[in-house]
Amino acid sequence: MAIKIQVPRPTKMELSRLKKRHKLATRIQKIVKDRLSLLIMEFLQTVKECAAVRERLLADFSEAYRAYSVAFGYHGKTPLEKEMALSEMPFTVSSGTRNVAGVKLPFFEIEKGEAATAQLRNRIDGSSVLDQSIEQSRKCLETIIQLTELQNSLDLLGTEINKVKRVNNALEFIVIPALDVTIRYLNMKFEERDREETARLKYVKQLLERKEAHAY
Amino acid sequence: MPTDATKKGDTPAEVYLYNEFRAINAHVPRRRKSIEELLGESAPQIDCGDGSTHFFRKKELQLLADMLDEEERKDFMLPMLIEVSSRDNSYAVPSPGGTEAKVLSKICGTNLSPVMNRVTLFKPHLSVIRSVLKTCTQYIFVA
Repeated sequence: MAIKIQVPRPTKMELSRLKKRHKLATRIQKIVKDRLSLLIMEFLQTVKECAAVRERLLADFSEAYRAYSVAFGYHGKTPLEKEMALSEMPFTVSSGTRNVAGVKLPFFEIEKGEAATAQLRNRIDGSSVLDQSIEQSRKCLETIIQLTELQNSLDLLGTEINKVKRVNNALEFIVIPALDVTIRYLNMKFEERDREETARLKYVKQLLERKEAHAY
Repeated sequence: MPTDATKKGDTPAEVYLYNEFRAINAHVPRRRKSIEELLGESAPQIDCGDGSTHFFRKKELQLLADMLDEEERKDFMLPMLIEVSSRDNSYAVPSPGGTEAKVLSKICGTNLSPVMNRVTLFKPHLSVIRSVLKTCTQYIFVA
């Protein structure tokens, strides 16, 4: 049950103030609810995307391991390690933030470029198997970066949803009902005062009439 | 005794409610940029009202640029603002020149025509648009 707000003096001014507050709280609650539904939509979308990327990452990793083990068998340990050391990842990752309904989410963008050590690699010693394993490793790294962004976004969205939910619940179940109860209390108080006033006036009228009757 | 929620000397509850209302739209960009301007930047970004920076994904910008012609690229402002109205629970994108309507129609795969310079969206549209244009759209809450 909602608890009545303590009002210093039950006046009409206080009532109009409370009504304004009630209007503002209702408006904000509606907006907060909309924001909550949007955040939940974003969260669910991110969950779906996250699951898809995770699956892709697993597939990429199994492909990379297969390619790596074939290359390991074909070239041996030392040439493979040498080639892997020279296969610099030719991309840069720029980071920033993107804003989703007031939540700052991480943003990573991969920009592909030319590897500085590409010329150092010996094409004669290499093979398609080796190239494939290097390519798969690159793919894995790209997917990991993508997954990092999504996973982080998921965390931040979840925290924000909890916060917004709390605000929404506070407004919906505490602030607005308390204002409702107080407004009703004040209205009833004024009605009672009016009734008392009417009764008092009637009594005074009766007294005056009685006085007039005695005077004659 | 103060009667307005924004006046000095309000109760903490009133101040809190007013601040909450302001905080909801704090992320709205200070200035929007045209797609042409953004494509020219090495790290396309805009400043938000709360002091943060919003970055755009180049892939999304390129996708939008491919949908538009030269003239439209100059007028098409980003991020696209999706107005969320709490009054009638609707979503709308202002489309003064009709370019936004064209882009959104292509993305959603349906014909979305602007009514009184606004494209009304439904939730299924919203999820499609947001999944394709994650950084090129932003929500704005309208009371």
